[in-house]
Amino acid sequence: MAKQEKAADVIEKESEHHGDEAHKAPGTFVLTLILLVSFAVYYFANWKALADVWHVR
Amino acid sequence: MTTMDPTVDGAVAETPAETAEPKGNHLPGLSRICGTTGFTVDLTAQKFIQLNAVAAVVCLLIGGVAALLVALTRWPAVHLLPAEWYYRMVTLHGLSMLILWIIFFEIAVLYFAGTVLLKSRLASATAAWISFIMMVVGGGMVAAMVLTGKADVMFTSYAPLKAHQLYYLGVILFAVGTLIGVINFFATIYIAKRDKTYKGSVPLVVFGAITAGIIAVATLLHGAAIYIPTWLWALGVIPNMDPAVYRLVFWGLGHPSQQINVAAMVSVWYLLSAITVGGKVLNQGVSRVAFLFYILFINLASAHHLLVDPGVSAGWKIWNTSYAMYLAVLASMIHGYTVPASVEVALRKQGHDKGLFGWLGAAPWGNPGFSGFFLSLLIFGFIGGITGVTLGTEQINIIAHNTLRIPGHFHSTVVGGTTLAFMAVTYYVVPLIFRREFPLRAICKLQPFVFALGIAMVSFGMSFAGSYGVSRRHWDIEFTGATHAAGYDASVHVWLAMVGIGGIVAFTGLLMYVLPVVGAVFFGKKIDGKMTPW
Repeated sequence: MAKQEKAADVIEKESEHHGDEAHKAPGTFVLTLILLVSFAVYYFANWKALADVWHVR
Repeated sequence: MTTMDPTVDGAVAETPAETAEPKGNHLPGLSRICGTTGFTVDLTAQKFIQLNAVAAVVCLLIGGVAALLVALTRWPAVHLLPAEWYYRMVTLHGLSMLILWIIFFEIAVLYFAGTVLLKSRLASATAAWISFIMMVVGGGMVAAMVLTGKADVMFTSYAPLKAHQLYYLGVILFAVGTLIGVINFFATIYIAKRDKTYKGSVPLVVFGAITAGIIAVATLLHGAAIYIPTWLWALGVIPNMDPAVYRLVFWGLGHPSQQINVAAMVSVWYLLSAITVGGKVLNQGVSRVAFLFYILFINLASAHHLLVDPGVSAGWKIWNTSYAMYLAVLASMIHGYTVPASVEVALRKQGHDKGLFGWLGAAPWGNPGFSGFFLSLLIFGFIGGITGVTLGTEQINIIAHNTLRIPGHFHSTVVGGTTLAFMAVTYYVVPLIFRREFPLRAICKLQPFVFALGIAMVSFGMSFAGSYGVSRRHWDIEFTGATHAAGYDASVHVWLAMVGIGGIVAFTGLLMYVLPVVGAVFFGKKIDGKMTPW
């Protein structure tokens, strides 16, 4: 296992280096997809509830 | 601090001795270096971080007791308080939690970010004293007026409800004290820049704190714009207050004050990611632009409080709660990706690379700094974010406005999100700033889970009860003694019971936080070198 850096070093280095870092975070990507689907379902359910109580004639 | 804890194999980076020469612009003998994190701590700032943090925790406890009483009153099977005390406790709870606890803690965060993270001294101890004293006196006046029954006006204090003039004066004093604290923070940033205590741009955590500070200034100016005339109205100098104008300007204070929380909370997330797993920001530019979006667009979200208000036009409501507001939502979605991704990247680099979620399973869940932060992230995003965007939609709001769905939403953002994140960072602030070990460590490790469970139950219970139309801020949904049958579907009792039970669980989690913090601050073992790893 790699060593973990000290917090002060992590913070200090980040302020000196602003470049993009190639990263791989597939787990987080899947979490965001779950969030998106949850939002879509909840949002749709609310529009459906609104449509049920507020009829347009 | 630990965290630095330990990497999984127990390897911890070399740490300089407590006596090593501090870097920065500190006055001689007025700084020290933390043996665990390597942060340089200005001793003057340390004192004010301590004072504000202690005041915050006292307010949290007061607000928590009020919360428990309110939750047990909303549970019809218990219905604890009489009507008068119910509304009094709702007022006290809202002010203690939404304003006093959060803002005292945020001032501590600003002083921490401005001094510790930038290796700078605090700009002015005198200003910090004035700020703190004004906030304590103002907060005390507000609490005293509420508890003596002279300000049963709820958190919003909508005109024409009128409280005792000392209530408004207390709010004004607290707000001005806060403003002085924020200006002191900006002055600290200025002298750090002038004295070149850091290289390049300020770290992202400080950038987020600056965002919180900028939003705070705008928020507090709105507060002055509405509370000063309201105070004069309570004194009899102004004959009347226009309720519509009051509501419009009040929400320039009421909602942005919660956006200060969001910016501060996200900053704490980035800090805890760095401290607990060594997480690095994935892309500085993207994260900083997201903070800028908060400054530019998040205040527009205030308009969602006025979606059924007859005083503003439909076009105004639609613009302010949709297109522009979504840019602020985009900002939260960016942070919602980059923060957990920074954790994932750091843990994968440490060797936890199995499958999609191996890193999550291997994360240091026994570290309350990590578990509190990550649970805060999940509750804020999955419950608070999804409900918030939905309720902020103008058309949908019509079926949710002033129901329990609204507090169901903001308990997941302000409590499950901000409060839990602030609790999590406390597990490092106390060892770093107070230099005391936490007692009752097993309780500390369990605390974030208990609190998160309780507040999730409260949030879900409120949201489902609100879906049945149960109104917020209502003492008796049974309408006992009404001439005609009234009330709600019987199933709401289940959801309100969930609110009551969740309230008990969350209060237990709150006590599991307060007791070890008090124990650590006053009786904890002194730390001379490194803190004991979590």
